Amino acid sequence: MRFTIYQESRQGGRSNNEDRTTYCYSRNALMMAVADGMGGHHYGEVAAQIAIQTLADSFQREAKPSLRDPFSFLQKAMNNAHQSIMDYSMRHGLSDSPRTTCVACIVQDNVAYWAHAGDSRLFLMRAGKVIAQTKDHSRIRLLLDEGLITPAQAATHPDRNKIYSCLGGPGLPEIEFSRKTPLEHGDIVLLCSDGLWGVTSGDMMAVTLKGANLMQAVPMLMSQTEIKAGQYGDNLSVVAVRWEESYIEDLSSAISTQTMALNEVTTHMDEFGRGASAKTDLTEDEIEKAIEEIRNAIEKYTPNK
Amino acid sequence: MGQQANQPLPDGYQLEEYTIERQLSLGGFSIVYLATDKSGMQVAIKEYLPNSLALRAPGETKPTITEEHLGAFRYGMKCFFEEGRALARLSHPNVIRVLNFFRANDTVYMVMHYEHGRTLQEYIHTHHGHITERFIRGLFTRMLNGLREVHSHKLLHLDLKPSNIYLRANNVPVLIDFGAARVTLSNDEPILKPMYTPGYASPEHYGERKNIGPWSDIYSVGASMYACLAGTPPPPADERLQKDTLQPAILRWQGQYSERLLEIVDWCLHLDHLYRPQSVFALQKALVEEIKPVTENKNWLGRMVDRIRKGSS
Repeated sequence: MRFTIYQESRQGGRSNNEDRTTYCYSRNALMMAVADGMGGHHYGEVAAQIAIQTLADSFQREAKPSLRDPFSFLQKAMNNAHQSIMDYSMRHGLSDSPRTTCVACIVQDNVAYWAHAGDSRLFLMRAGKVIAQTKDHSRIRLLLDEGLITPAQAATHPDRNKIYSCLGGPGLPEIEFSRKTPLEHGDIVLLCSDGLWGVTSGDMMAVTLKGANLMQAVPMLMSQTEIKAGQYGDNLSVVAVRWEESYIEDLSSAISTQTMALNEVTTHMDEFGRGASAKTDLTEDEIEKAIEEIRNAIEKYTPNK
Repeated sequence: MGQQANQPLPDGYQLEEYTIERQLSLGGFSIVYLATDKSGMQVAIKEYLPNSLALRAPGETKPTITEEHLGAFRYGMKCFFEEGRALARLSHPNVIRVLNFFRANDTVYMVMHYEHGRTLQEYIHTHHGHITERFIRGLFTRMLNGLREVHSHKLLHLDLKPSNIYLRANNVPVLIDFGAARVTLSNDEPILKPMYTPGYASPEHYGERKNIGPWSDIYSVGASMYACLAGTPPPPADERLQKDTLQPAILRWQGQYSERLLEIVDWCLHLDHLYRPQSVFALQKALVEEIKPVTENKNWLGRMVDRIRKGSS
């Protein structure tokens, strides 16, 4: 397999980032996933983390080096993730289970397979055009499909963020699967949370990314979106891959899996709570207190005093 | 983030009540100085200065920390505090003693007892090929006393290696440099790159690190014992995981050392952490249990003495 891949998750204007992304690949298979957690008290973050972690763990276990059946893999892994979130909320006695959207895609033998629950999206782009995309599990999309509202109304509809399928939560998730989709050289598969597609449309992204170096173009796209979304913008996350069997322009950032061992899996995932703001909570007072405490301990435990 | 060299404080610099004599070592996390206190006693002072986050330019005393790195710098400081906190409570002859802890130059300093002697690393170099079984058993048994104390405070050393085992003039070992030490029960994922030394770091040090435990320090103990025998550390654990080229001690030094000792070395160096001694105590027990020569029981006098001892107890 040869491809260029880029992932990034940004906090936007929110106080914490409840989005998670990952990609893993073995010699013959690539998996990408985006999850967008929902719910207060940081639990959305937990749900998204569990979902991503479960997918990555399953992939590491099963892609040796190919997945036997990518669709059944996605189904099993996403259902397991749902179950793990439920277990987590049971264990912690949460009255309401945290939830997360999830979109995941497998590429194996140049064929893409994807599945989703909720409103995180996958776009398949070819030659600057979106040729396939997931359909959000949202009320607004149903209303749109039935012609009850116009796209313009949808953009400002109060229910536009309400979704009826997700991982976690009381009901079983409705997981929707794609067709087996053969990829051509230069195709871009882009998975993202609503923080990105809600501001920058898929068509716009397809035009921007056409022929561009993903390593530069995607971060630029994210920055533009972040600026457009403004001060109170949502978290925005993306995993984008360009499928490139004969891509030679930028060898350094292209990944070739030919030399990987048969049972080797590489995973890239930001660790939990690693957001830049998560660890800055050591105040001057706390520093003084810590030093005081250590000095007292030295005093107390030093013999001959 | 590229590596950048941090400038040490100049010799003769007055740091609170201490006068810096010279720099002893420079690590990724910190600089260690030799200094003297008011009474003229020599001490080692460790300065928290992670070189990926804080840069001290030549001629400056305060490091420059950019806004962007301040969070991570403070987080690393937390780890430094953990080290200080844990060491402060450890009062053990085989563990380096902390004497003072203070804040200056926008960072923090830990003052430690300065030990005269040499590191096990230096000893291995000078005695290459001539380290006796008796020396190894004696040294590691005592060193493990210190490590036991460390583990009993829910702390892991995580960077054990011959250059971090100090030998006093009388060959009593002291564990130094707890810079990689982590509180085992802390759930925090370190932001700063964890450090380790290839060859001595356990397989758990690589990758996700979720299986790190006392057995990871034990791997490093095994690697240090191996280095005593071989003069060089075993191949790095990540390479061993790919293709294990390590020749088991039991084969390599057959006949030169007791089988039990060689078995212990191989036991500690097992790639699967579950197959290693699970606690320092288990390892220590193994190290001391057969220190008596096996022939002792065959000696009729010995048997007699044993019998009398048993009878009287």
